[in-house]
Amino acid sequence: MSDHHKETFITKYIFSQDHKMIAKQFLITGMMMAVLGMIMSAVFRVQLANPGESSMLYNLLPGSWVNELGALNPDKYLALVTMHGTILVFWVLTAGLSGTFANFLIPLQIGARDMASGFLNMLSYWFFFIATIVLVSSIYVQGGPASGGWTIYPPLSALPQAIPGSGTGMTLWLVSITLFVVGSLLGGLNYIVTILNLRTKGMSMKRLPLTVWALLVTAILGVLSFPVLLSCGLLLIFDRSFGTSFYLSDIIVGGEMLHNMGGSPVLFEHLFWFLGHPEVYIILLPALGIISEVIAVNSRKPIFGYKAMVVSILVIGFLSFIVWGHHMFMTGMNPFLGSVFTFTTLLIAIPSAVKVFNYLATLWRANIRFTPAMLFAIAGVSAFITGGLTGLILGDSALDINVHDTYFVVGHFHIVMGLSAIYGMLAGVYHWFPKMYGKMMNKNLGYLHFWGTFICAYGVFFPMHFLGLAGLPRRYYTNSAFPMFDGLTDINSIITFFALSGAIVQVIFLFNFFYSIFKGTKASQNPWKSNTLEWTTPIERIHGNWPGDLPTVHRWAYDYSKPGAQEDYILQTEPLKEGEEEH
Amino acid sequence: MINILIALVVLLVIAALVQITRVSELLAEIKNKDVNQVTDDDNKTQGVLFLFIGFGFLVFVVWQMIEWNHLLLPGAASVHGEKIDVLMKFTMTLILVVFFIVTPMLFYFAYKYRGKQSNTAYFLSHNNKLEVIWTVIPTIVLTGVIIFGLKTWDETMNVDTSDANVIEVYSEQFKWTARSSGADNKLGTSNFKLVTAKNALGIDMQDQNSLDDQLLREVHLVVDKPVLLKFRSRDVIHSAFLPHFRVQMNCVPGLLTQFAFTPTKTTKQMKKEEGEDFEYTLLCNKICGAAHYNMQMSFIVETQEEYDAWIASKQTLSQKLLTQK
Amino acid sequence: MNFIKNRSLKQLLWIGIGSIVMFFAGLTSAYVVRKAEGNWVEFLFPDWFLFSTITIVISSIILILAKRNIKREKKVFNFLIVVLLLGVCFSFFQFKGWQDLTNQGVFLTGEGSNVSGSFLYVITLAHLVHLIGGLVAILITAINSKMGKYTSKDFLGFELTSIYWHFLGLLWIYLFFFLKFF
Repeated sequence: MSDHHKETFITKYIFSQDHKMIAKQFLITGMMMAVLGMIMSAVFRVQLANPGESSMLYNLLPGSWVNELGALNPDKYLALVTMHGTILVFWVLTAGLSGTFANFLIPLQIGARDMASGFLNMLSYWFFFIATIVLVSSIYVQGGPASGGWTIYPPLSALPQAIPGSGTGMTLWLVSITLFVVGSLLGGLNYIVTILNLRTKGMSMKRLPLTVWALLVTAILGVLSFPVLLSCGLLLIFDRSFGTSFYLSDIIVGGEMLHNMGGSPVLFEHLFWFLGHPEVYIILLPALGIISEVIAVNSRKPIFGYKAMVVSILVIGFLSFIVWGHHMFMTGMNPFLGSVFTFTTLLIAIPSAVKVFNYLATLWRANIRFTPAMLFAIAGVSAFITGGLTGLILGDSALDINVHDTYFVVGHFHIVMGLSAIYGMLAGVYHWFPKMYGKMMNKNLGYLHFWGTFICAYGVFFPMHFLGLAGLPRRYYTNSAFPMFDGLTDINSIITFFALSGAIVQVIFLFNFFYSIFKGTKASQNPWKSNTLEWTTPIERIHGNWPGDLPTVHRWAYDYSKPGAQEDYILQTEPLKEGEEEH
Repeated sequence: MINILIALVVLLVIAALVQITRVSELLAEIKNKDVNQVTDDDNKTQGVLFLFIGFGFLVFVVWQMIEWNHLLLPGAASVHGEKIDVLMKFTMTLILVVFFIVTPMLFYFAYKYRGKQSNTAYFLSHNNKLEVIWTVIPTIVLTGVIIFGLKTWDETMNVDTSDANVIEVYSEQFKWTARSSGADNKLGTSNFKLVTAKNALGIDMQDQNSLDDQLLREVHLVVDKPVLLKFRSRDVIHSAFLPHFRVQMNCVPGLLTQFAFTPTKTTKQMKKEEGEDFEYTLLCNKICGAAHYNMQMSFIVETQEEYDAWIASKQTLSQKLLTQK
Repeated sequence: MNFIKNRSLKQLLWIGIGSIVMFFAGLTSAYVVRKAEGNWVEFLFPDWFLFSTITIVISSIILILAKRNIKREKKVFNFLIVVLLLGVCFSFFQFKGWQDLTNQGVFLTGEGSNVSGSFLYVITLAHLVHLIGGLVAILITAINSKMGKYTSKDFLGFELTSIYWHFLGLLWIYLFFFLKFF
């Protein structure tokens, strides 16, 4: 299995088959796309706070996106919102989160030399890279990038006459997402097979860190649900480019009566959300896995209820496949179907609640070490509570009638994804940075980044619940067209203020990250005094991870502050003492 | 020019940050301290910050609730809407109670258990009894929420529409058109293939039911009388959102959707309660193109007499045909 | 170590096959849902697709015979070439099937087409695209076998190719019965 090939610059840094390098490739690409997505949100937030006015920030946009008065064009507002969603959901929170941490952690935490297939793994990154190029290039085409929302419902996304971005921009979006999905699948295959087959001696499934369990279930969700996005997209490609009528029927647009008959946009929605819902758990589960790990290590206590946490992950994974209809309550579906989806959706609250209570119990009587990673992990739990609770309203079909597609939804999904999942990702970066780069990130800059982000993020997204309950729809270029929203201007200004401030605060993180790679203080082998296997590898990071034999595992990952132990942590490789019981 | 200046400023700021950080790390090295080691002092500071900023967040939430309460939608102006409001109050109360218990616990624990070198954490890996308790209690609560929710949903969706006044709401980029079904309360059939400049909704004039239909630029509803709105779309998915009535339904090209409800407050009444500027508002609530944010059509709720007077002045399609000849 | 590698690569393939199954599950679900909505034109299911089904079944049988040969250290190159040719035959029959459809007036798109025809074209095309990948795998395996790469103890590449090829056959049989009778 160990390919002791000679490393050249190309094979070490570019076409690497080493999972650690591939992880970093995913991370850097994900971070750059996050910056792009964040800039887009800054631009459209400026429009919302000062509708129809010009702004210096619009200088970042292609010239054709603003009119003669310097104001943002309405259809380009929709383009920004679409690309922001696409980039953040797929590029940052899927590839940037799973791609990074699954690749980095799985072989290290299970005690393997590398993934089952380094070659497929390398391909998975390069498919992702090309997908990125295609997507970014779509920003500059004549009609602009895809503009039908990241959910790209037809007919809007099928007809360039309906909105310019549905021309070449949308075609490139589809090409890009196809490449992205193929890359994701190649990665997911590897993650599953590696975890099932390449665990080192003594690493039973019951001794796996929760991070690995979360990444395993995530990968399974991915290989089962992403292909349906491909089916969905394939039929859309045929409707757009070959005149079929899978999704289109009875349409008159741009003065033209289209020939399509018999298609149904609702069919698209079913296929799309069959992926779409598991997708948000593909985003959330790795973040929760990271949060579990970071909280345990920094509480110096076992994660409370390990078995219950594993079962919760499995139940959430299973349920995530049967709730997709809650995105479609208002499509005119049979009310009975609506009832079924309400039932299954509200059920998912149960394992989610169990996880929250277990996190609280882990913190109870802990000896908390507040590394920046720990701060983000705790904030991640807070966001999961806040965002998860509003899910109870949205998942209830009768209540959804008045909040569907309003800012209430925007608040909810940003708090669970934009806060909870991103916080998980940031916690992961801060926590495993020493392992990735052999250096320490600056702690004080980390603290500054955290508090700035925590304050600004809740400042941006909590007020949105009120906008939603006031009836304000999402994806509106401005609220000034309806007098009923005149009273909401102040809230919009407040949100934009926090959004711009929050964006600037992220510069601290970017600075800290890149500075520390080059000039950070050298890390020790196990700076967090953690039990898991990745901290038994040398600081310099070698191909094949361990210089000699693979480690043997004798215990689970959470023997922190175990009574009778010398230190407040015991590596998983440490054999049991005379008379010591395994947990 | 200004771009170059901005870039220079950014570079200088970065350079300054690099030097500051490097200096602070070197200073720590001189003092033989690991600048990135988390100390007891750090834990105290961060723990205290969690207490203050965490509770500050909760204060912020309460402040928002008080400050912006008056901006929220007024009570529902429809029969099923009132039921939805009851469900909403119940569910919202429930989640707020949970939020205001669990969130402070989280921040308080972060503060109370801030670490000290001299402390040891309490090694407790699990407690099955607790797991059962905090699985069963949410299950029971959620069962209640589900039953209540499904009941409300059923009462909203499965209404008797036999007496309802049928009105069609037709959506397109970027406007709404309404069509009353006339005296016979039956809408004439339509087909998009029949759409012409003179027949924008594609109504089949061969159908007898079409003759008394009336095209409308605004919708009038009679208070306390059920209405059945039928939705069509000309081009892309739109969504008819009438927030004051708690009504929302997608308008899908190639599909017929509908929503039945009974308005309970006239526009005049709402103006008394909410201010002279009040209007019932129809919003498009599914991204449909550039002017998605500006699809306007008035909805007015009035008494039977006011309605009769108003509708009498509207031309039927057969009358329209005659005048066109 | 090799045993683990073999097992891993086979599992990778199986999970990949799982993904492909989900892809076709999406397409066939869409078919079912759409058909239930009406306005679905029925037509004569081309006989050519029956021929292609028989062809692909025969190719799988040949591949099974080839596997027996490998285990007995006998040559398999000829068998693999026959499978390749049968695969090409299969593709030919698919094209003839599509031709039959257009002769009947059942088109993918355009005036007079119906979504029932569109689904048939898209689903069979999607299968064919995956089959072409299988043809490439067969060719590579054939070449490798000629170069003496496989022994009776280790013929992983051959195994992977045949798992995939049999999958393509089984998938086609499912699609055939589904499209013909549903």
